[in-house]
Amino acid sequence: METTEKYHFDVVRWFSVAAVIYLVVGTLVGVVIASQLAWPVMNFDNPYLTFGRLRPLHTNAVIFAFGGCVLMATAFYSVQRTCGVKLWSNKLAWFTFWGWNLIIVSAVITLPLGLTSGKEYAELEWPIDIAIAVVWVAFTVNFVMTIANRKSSHIYVSNWFFLGMMIMITYLHVVNSLAIPVGMFKSYSIFSGVQDAMIQWWWGHNAVGFYLTAGFLGIMYYFVPKQANRPMFSYRLSVIHFWALTFGYVWLGAHHLQYTALPDWTGSLGAAISIAMIIPSWGGAINGMMTLSGAWDKLRTDYVLRFLIASLAFYAMSTFEGPIMSIKTVNALSHYTDWTVGHVHSGALGWVGMVAAGALYHMVMKLWNTEMYSSKLVNTHFWLATIGTVIYIVALWISGIMQGLMWRDYDEFGTLTYTFAESVAAMHPFYAMRTIGGFIYMLGGVVMLYNVVMTIRQARTNPSITAEPARA
Amino acid sequence: MNSLQEYFQTDWAAMTSSDWVGLIMTVVVFFLMIALYVYALHPSNREKLEAQRFIPLDEDRLDTEGRK
Repeated sequence: METTEKYHFDVVRWFSVAAVIYLVVGTLVGVVIASQLAWPVMNFDNPYLTFGRLRPLHTNAVIFAFGGCVLMATAFYSVQRTCGVKLWSNKLAWFTFWGWNLIIVSAVITLPLGLTSGKEYAELEWPIDIAIAVVWVAFTVNFVMTIANRKSSHIYVSNWFFLGMMIMITYLHVVNSLAIPVGMFKSYSIFSGVQDAMIQWWWGHNAVGFYLTAGFLGIMYYFVPKQANRPMFSYRLSVIHFWALTFGYVWLGAHHLQYTALPDWTGSLGAAISIAMIIPSWGGAINGMMTLSGAWDKLRTDYVLRFLIASLAFYAMSTFEGPIMSIKTVNALSHYTDWTVGHVHSGALGWVGMVAAGALYHMVMKLWNTEMYSSKLVNTHFWLATIGTVIYIVALWISGIMQGLMWRDYDEFGTLTYTFAESVAAMHPFYAMRTIGGFIYMLGGVVMLYNVVMTIRQARTNPSITAEPARA
Repeated sequence: MNSLQEYFQTDWAAMTSSDWVGLIMTVVVFFLMIALYVYALHPSNREKLEAQRFIPLDEDRLDTEGRK
């Protein structure tokens, strides 16, 4: 294939297929743990399969296995095409692929065994943390050196977003993972008390901000114009979007710690900057959507484009909801409830999952120089993903707000109206509804995996089919 | 002292070196952001910046040209 000779695309193919597999595996574990909350019998009295051990496995699988493979595939793909050169080192790219997958295998083994540092979204123990740092730096160096070798003078904005993600995640991961090892699989954070909590959420929110937002915005800025075959709406807006997001996101972590031992002003500052972040976030979402200005009809026929544009709607929605939830008055109701979980999933399923699916479909057609095996299945996936996401977040909106209201309700004597157990019982129908939403979303992933496998098989048996976007 | 003055009252003598480093970095970045906004939105830079919009659609050009 022509593209194979021009660029190092084999490693991108492997990352792309791995991403689709991890989408199914990660969401499957999510469905299992969601059903455990609705029906505790699903824990099977087996310590290795309990919610507490599978929950970090789910988050690691979807964020780092699925999300990581998507980011590495798209970054390696788009940097070569926008710079007009091959990857600086194909060997280093393969090291990144095998290293990252080895880390994922380590997570699959250690997390069900209960080997964890106890830090949310950074549960893996210190030897694996070191491996993550090494592989991530290898990924970054390869990306930077490819840009350094570019044929054009300008560095396209998608590469700025990817680069911002790489630099910040290196910094965040290393600082958050600083720990004193007391054994091969046990360590304690060098931070303690409220400082540990602040570092944890400085990492936690910036993992969202730079890994799940900046990285995936890099995807958006490359793949939306490519799939729409139109230049982006405004390059100037993308420049402002990048720097405002980079400057703003690092301040937000404290809004996770309202009404805690953290000084009050820190949470207020986090909330104030969160509100300000609506401006660049919506600017970026509008920039992506307005790329279709004058060509909205493409959404009727191009199912891959539907994924990319619908993801921006979810991006706009969750970047409005998040700042609202960070305001202290709202946070007093929402904190520690399922509303937070619903908010995270509107971003994860709606924004990250759907923009990733759009980019993966686009790349699969280009990388194997073919059209999708079934465009109808792409559309089926789109509706399963959309309906699954909506059911999920609606269930947890109702559940979370009800939870918050029940917890703080008190009678004329100042006694709490409801016991905690009563609030748990009230959650049951919404936990069942959430499981159904997650199951539908996972089904979309299964459809995608089947379609991608059949597309690759088709490309191998009939390489003459020319690449076309999936159409009705 | 009115309430606004009270709100912004700062005990400068209590500032640690970390506080000063953080404050100076924040103020510098704030002014850099203003400079960026002026640069990006200034009409004279419009054509130069917007020309970059076409990079993803114009990839094949890079295969035949050196760095421009």
